[in-house]
Amino acid sequence: MSTTFIRVAEVWVPDAGRTLLEFGGGLYGRARRFGALSRSMCFGRGEGLPGEAWESGRPIVLQKFEGSNFRRTEAALAEGLTCGIALPIFAGDLLTAVLVLFCGDDAAHAGAIEVWHNDPAAGKDMTLADGYYGNTADAFEFISRRTSFRPGTGLPGLAWQSGLPVFMPDLGKGGRFLRADSAVKVGINRGFAIPCSTRGPDTYVMAFLSALATPIVRRFECWLPEPDGSTLRRREGFCEQAGALDVGGEPVARGIGALGRALASCVPVIAERAAAEPGAVGLAAAAHGLDSLVALPVLRDGRVVAVVGWYF
Amino acid sequence: MKPMLSIQGVGMTFATKRGPFVALRDIDLEVQRGEFVSLIGHSGCGKSTLLNLVAGLTTPTQGVLLLDDRELKGPGPDRGVVFQNHSLLPWLSCTDNVLLAVERVFGQKEGKAALHDRAKAALDLVGMNHAAAKRPHEISGGMKQRVGIARALAMEPKMLLMDEPFGALDALTRARLQDELMKIVATTGATVMMVTHDVDEAVLLSDRIVMMTNGPAATIGEVLRVDLPRPRNRVELVEDRGYVQCRKEVIDFLYMRHSHVERTA
Repeated sequence: MSTTFIRVAEVWVPDAGRTLLEFGGGLYGRARRFGALSRSMCFGRGEGLPGEAWESGRPIVLQKFEGSNFRRTEAALAEGLTCGIALPIFAGDLLTAVLVLFCGDDAAHAGAIEVWHNDPAAGKDMTLADGYYGNTADAFEFISRRTSFRPGTGLPGLAWQSGLPVFMPDLGKGGRFLRADSAVKVGINRGFAIPCSTRGPDTYVMAFLSALATPIVRRFECWLPEPDGSTLRRREGFCEQAGALDVGGEPVARGIGALGRALASCVPVIAERAAAEPGAVGLAAAAHGLDSLVALPVLRDGRVVAVVGWYF
Repeated sequence: MKPMLSIQGVGMTFATKRGPFVALRDIDLEVQRGEFVSLIGHSGCGKSTLLNLVAGLTTPTQGVLLLDDRELKGPGPDRGVVFQNHSLLPWLSCTDNVLLAVERVFGQKEGKAALHDRAKAALDLVGMNHAAAKRPHEISGGMKQRVGIARALAMEPKMLLMDEPFGALDALTRARLQDELMKIVATTGATVMMVTHDVDEAVLLSDRIVMMTNGPAATIGEVLRVDLPRPRNRVELVEDRGYVQCRKEVIDFLYMRHSHVERTA
């Protein structure tokens, strides 16, 4: 994962008593010591980054570990990780898991992760709740913090309106990404946005903005469940090696492979060996030298409306 | 903070020979007291239609507009309107043009002298007292527009509504009037909603820029907060990082919109 903007991904799931979050899988790349430490940990509600996301019921961007309630600061800093993002996944009021991502802000890793928020009681605007910009901050953060989107406009607005993941392979072209000029200036060329399933009426969208040298992920896929929920069909995708991916292709059955298990369980699933995944998913991963896969379910009203595949 | 103007779920559909034409849809916007909000977008995006709805010149086919919690059901002296075309009566002097509006609002409760004082003060505010006795054809376009602003301000409206007020003026006159408008707004604390095509004008004058999507069925696409400190100096702003970025953002929106047909996600 060293060539991607996301350097560590881990999943935390509630235990049987729903009092603790336990380790549910992780991709640590070169951050092996951090991984070893994390595997033995658990978090109570409100405790550490995963516990805070559970407690608050919304995505959290932790831009600085020092002085926060983050419990692995020393180990994270030793691996060059400087920012953590926690994405809780709720089926209604019930937390199914917390996905935690880590990034580093060295010069070699360019990109941005943003959390956009709409409070329907406060108005119709979706504004930036938080963001991590790494070394793109100067040119990009300024305008993001002053912009608000309406449903259907811009990357966050499109995800908000559709309730589905949105992918833009080239932010500099076309009219849907409205901060294109700022993005291109700092080398950001791809973006995807994912609507978050949170508690309560508020809407949150996470936007991932990716630079050519350090893509957020090496391959992105969006799969939609068939109406009967038995299979997933690929709606779109983009591979840094293969370019835009065909729509459709071989379906993924519910419960089979990381993507199918994410559909069945409503929990993100990490496959440490993407090439070992069944069927066309594994073959494609092998063909393009992709190491691992995170299958992230996107829920709305307690149902999986999409499964996103991130390949590293 | 409670907004002065609240536009809630407003839509505007016109009946045409070819059937209903949806000009605006799903407009939700709040304007705070003392705020300067610009509406920007391409021709046909409905920004003037929206201003006309606020002015009460048109009634929305959907939704409601509230000014200080009271529904807007027609034009009123609580909203002063300045049009691109100055709309001065050619047979009246500058003073009499302003006085006409003043009499309408305050004529019932104030004497002639007081009304004249009001007209004079308004012309003073826009630096036009030297031409008070002149008729519109005797003064320049910029001067006419100043009188139009004076007429609107003389009514002491809650809101000043401006529809491309400087669009018909040359660049130098426009710049001078923009600077004067900034001073007037700072002096009076006026709440302003302005329609413009001019990106620099929008960034220079506004607290917020509301960017409209292309019509038909136009709506608000993006809102940009312009928190540059005031008073603003146009010369200094040219090199201000915040100004440049805000300007780029608006150009980006307009340029992309102009060259691209909206797709669905």
